Amino acid sequence: MPPSNPLPPKENALFKRILRCYEHKQYKNGLKFAKQILSNPKFQEHGETLAMKGLTLNCLGRKDEAYEYVRRGLRNDLKSPVCWHVYGLLQRSDKKYDEAIKCYRNALKWEKENIQILRDLSLLQIQMRDLEGYKDTRYQLFMLRPTQRASWIGFAMSYHLLGDYEMANSILDAFRTNQMKGPYDYEHSELLLYQNMVLAESGQYERALQHLHKFSAQILDKLSIKETSGEYYLKLKRFKEAEAVYEDLLKRNPENVMYYEKLIEAKQLTNPDDKVAFFDVYKKEFPRAIAPRRLQLTEALAQPVFEKLVDEYLRHGLHKGIPPLFVDLRSLYKDKSKAESIEKLILQYLENLTKNGTFGPDASETKQPASALLWAYYYAAQHFDYKQETDRALHYIDAAIEHTPTLIELFIVKGRIYKHAGDPVSAYQWLEEAQAMDTADRYVNSKCARYMLRAGHVKRAEEMCAKFTREGVPATENLNEMQCMWFQTEAAASYKRLQQWGEALKKAHEVDRHFSEIMEDQFDFHSYCMRKMTLRSYVGLLRLEDVLRAHPFYFRCARVAIDVYLRLYTSPLQDAPQTQEPDTENLAPSELKKLRNKQRKAKRKAEQESALQAQVQVKREQHHKARQQQEQGDPEAPQLDELVPDKLARAEDPLEQAIKFLLPLRTLAADRIDTHLMAFEIYYRKDKPLLMLQSIKRAFRLDSSHPHLHDCLLRFQRWLDDNLASYNPSVAAVITKEIEPMVRGRSAVQMAEEFIQSAERTQANALWGARALCRLLPARTPAALAQATALDYPDTSIQGCVDVLESLRQGEFGACEKEIEQYIEACRSKFPYAIAFKPAAEQDAAADAPLQPKEIAVNN
Amino acid sequence: MNIRCARPSDLMNMQHCNLLCLPENYQMKYYFYHGLSWPQLSYVAEDEKGHIVGYVLAKMEEDGEDNRHGHITSLAVKRSHRRLGLAQKLMNQASLAMVECFQAKYVSLHVRKSNRAALNLYTNSLGFKILEIEPKYYADGEDAYSMMRDLSAFAAESKTELPPIENLEIVSESAIISQC
Repeated sequence: MPPSNPLPPKENALFKRILRCYEHKQYKNGLKFAKQILSNPKFQEHGETLAMKGLTLNCLGRKDEAYEYVRRGLRNDLKSPVCWHVYGLLQRSDKKYDEAIKCYRNALKWEKENIQILRDLSLLQIQMRDLEGYKDTRYQLFMLRPTQRASWIGFAMSYHLLGDYEMANSILDAFRTNQMKGPYDYEHSELLLYQNMVLAESGQYERALQHLHKFSAQILDKLSIKETSGEYYLKLKRFKEAEAVYEDLLKRNPENVMYYEKLIEAKQLTNPDDKVAFFDVYKKEFPRAIAPRRLQLTEALAQPVFEKLVDEYLRHGLHKGIPPLFVDLRSLYKDKSKAESIEKLILQYLENLTKNGTFGPDASETKQPASALLWAYYYAAQHFDYKQETDRALHYIDAAIEHTPTLIELFIVKGRIYKHAGDPVSAYQWLEEAQAMDTADRYVNSKCARYMLRAGHVKRAEEMCAKFTREGVPATENLNEMQCMWFQTEAAASYKRLQQWGEALKKAHEVDRHFSEIMEDQFDFHSYCMRKMTLRSYVGLLRLEDVLRAHPFYFRCARVAIDVYLRLYTSPLQDAPQTQEPDTENLAPSELKKLRNKQRKAKRKAEQESALQAQVQVKREQHHKARQQQEQGDPEAPQLDELVPDKLARAEDPLEQAIKFLLPLRTLAADRIDTHLMAFEIYYRKDKPLLMLQSIKRAFRLDSSHPHLHDCLLRFQRWLDDNLASYNPSVAAVITKEIEPMVRGRSAVQMAEEFIQSAERTQANALWGARALCRLLPARTPAALAQATALDYPDTSIQGCVDVLESLRQGEFGACEKEIEQYIEACRSKFPYAIAFKPAAEQDAAADAPLQPKEIAVNN
Repeated sequence: MNIRCARPSDLMNMQHCNLLCLPENYQMKYYFYHGLSWPQLSYVAEDEKGHIVGYVLAKMEEDGEDNRHGHITSLAVKRSHRRLGLAQKLMNQASLAMVECFQAKYVSLHVRKSNRAALNLYTNSLGFKILEIEPKYYADGEDAYSMMRDLSAFAAESKTELPPIENLEIVSESAIISQC
């Protein structure tokens, strides 16, 4: 198609050179050629040249000018596909994908069959999951280029993603028979497996199985053949064949837990004794494998059977000195009687090892190496720590350290015991000790840093991490660059506890940005995987990205951000730090003068400092820009605003900000009640009754007796009493009808009373119940207080007590200084190690004076 | 502990494990690159909760038909899960896949000169040989041993469909253990 606004041959040649320069990233030269065209008065408003000049400028980081030129070019030539395409590319580089799609569509209006534009469009459509649009575009590309492999694959995939398996399969079949002519290489093998995946997803396991058998000689990925055919046999209830497949798979990998599970399914074993016998067979067949021995312990239910098996397992582990023995067995502790059996055995071993150096009471048994006692101490320490018996745990870990003072693992466990006992400061100090014993081990380093964050020492944690981050840049910068989310989520939580709201938000936003980056990361793989033919994994990637923010890291950072924004909504920060104006009236004139002088000096100093800070800020921005420009080899790099804690903490619209973090959770973490409780808290503050209702209903479906939900319901009812009259009657009617099954005609007071009387006796129920009682019936505050501060709930925990204490200090039960004192004292005697209940002076001392490694050594 | 081939949804957790354990880190995109180019080659070890406690991230070096070989980009086992033989098991699974899917002749890797525990694992448990020293291979200036392991045993085995060799004794992966 001829350009809509043709240039004469000489200028046209120059224009082609601009395009070539753009493709070869010779942007400076491109600008030169553009100048040559535009300096001719006849063509100074030539649309396509202006647009290309803009695009080139964009690649040089001059975004504002870029938009200016591209838009001017487009205005001058609205019928040019080039101008629209360029505008689309510009928007795409700015991550404005929806806008870019519109531009490409406009471009295609003027040039329907431009392959390049169609390809670019299809990439954006799949990135944005416009699956219908993607299908149409892939169809056009297929019709235009039927000989290209990618045309077929993209065409088939567009149907697959829409769930039209038959069509996808037919296209793949046609492609295979008509287009593929050997060799049967890896790509061919992957294509066959992809086709097989399509068949399986259509639910036609029989057909998928036949397909797999027919082509098995051409498929290189033997593991996939076996794993999928095993799956199909099970689905088709062809158990004998499934059995053979999984037995074969176990020979290949006897540590795969799923193979054992599937084999049990194929053998249709349900009785625990049969399962125990089943594992006996594989223990013999794979004597070195851990899985069959360990899985057997889970299946063994009868106490004597379990005890015999676990006795074997423990002796083996202690004899060989396998440090993860406890971590490995921990999940068995869900069963109380199993935990008891283990305790009995461990205490026996300890007794006999100290006495005779044997596991059993019979002194003539084989003597164990000296290390067996060490590992038994080590196990016992973790065992009692699990049972929250701090003193016993410490006793055994100290015995272990005395036995072998050089084993790092012991110090890690000692730190963990303190952590569980509520003393994060001693916890990190023991980790510091462990870390000093092997500074080359990043695992211990990371663990130590995490414990420091738990103890509220963010700076110290950063310094610890810096031992492993790139030299020359601050640790936090390097960790952010490496997308180190564990550190950033922990730091966010730590800052929140320290009430450094801006810093907490900054960390939460950094994590959120990683998730956005990871969404962007897909982009290049849309075309890459079509070439590589790794289509099964590609579909796996698309499905992963669809639910990316379901990842626990996102949940954690979103919760911190939402909590902080709610807090900032309720009590916004002052614009500037408040300066206390001293009482000047009662000062003698000379003192007043002194004071004024001092103030002037302080002011000057502050001004100097802020000027200095401004300079640093400018420098940092320049550095930032320069770096972005360096990276401009990739013009895609988005220009993100710098996250400034002070600005974040003074957001104008904290609730809107909170909603941004909430929205992904509402779809991706809909099965977690906390999602809906957070949603309620936000919408309650925004006066959105329908969204409050929705949040309550969703939470109710997940756990109708949750104490926080109960409180939401009470507040919602109260809100309705106050506000519903002002709403449209039909809306009011809907809400009243929907809320009824949860309220069941009760008044708020009735509901609160009922909750207190009938809810299970837990610490959280007691606290929430007491809060409501106190709010609704202030006269009963003393009773409410007594209920909240009782310590005899079966689940009483340090965190639970901290929550109660926080609530008391917030004044939710009115002024109660004395009660607070008493409560702290009671908590202290229940949890003697917990820092939260120590007198303030001791807390400060503990926080400020880190034990020096030397002192720790002396303590031993 | 469960050992299985890595899926795309494991890649983020592998990255997390890597950041906890090793000084050499990569952005997520590099993990995606591995998982989407050679999906058969990376393996994970997970605990009962599905948390990744060890992984091997592997790729093919495709410089010429005659020199097809695998390369271990990264291998880590959390310190809390050492001495279970996980590293060895992960490596053997990855190596078998390299041979089956990509006809690899050998597998190569780099290891820090100072990392005696890893060096011990590679030479004694896995049959790697030191090829050469690559000076200043790491960002902090440390030298690397460039190592390789011949995979013809795996090739023979994948043809005859025999179970993988299990004659390799698990040797201490952690230097500190041997001191006590």
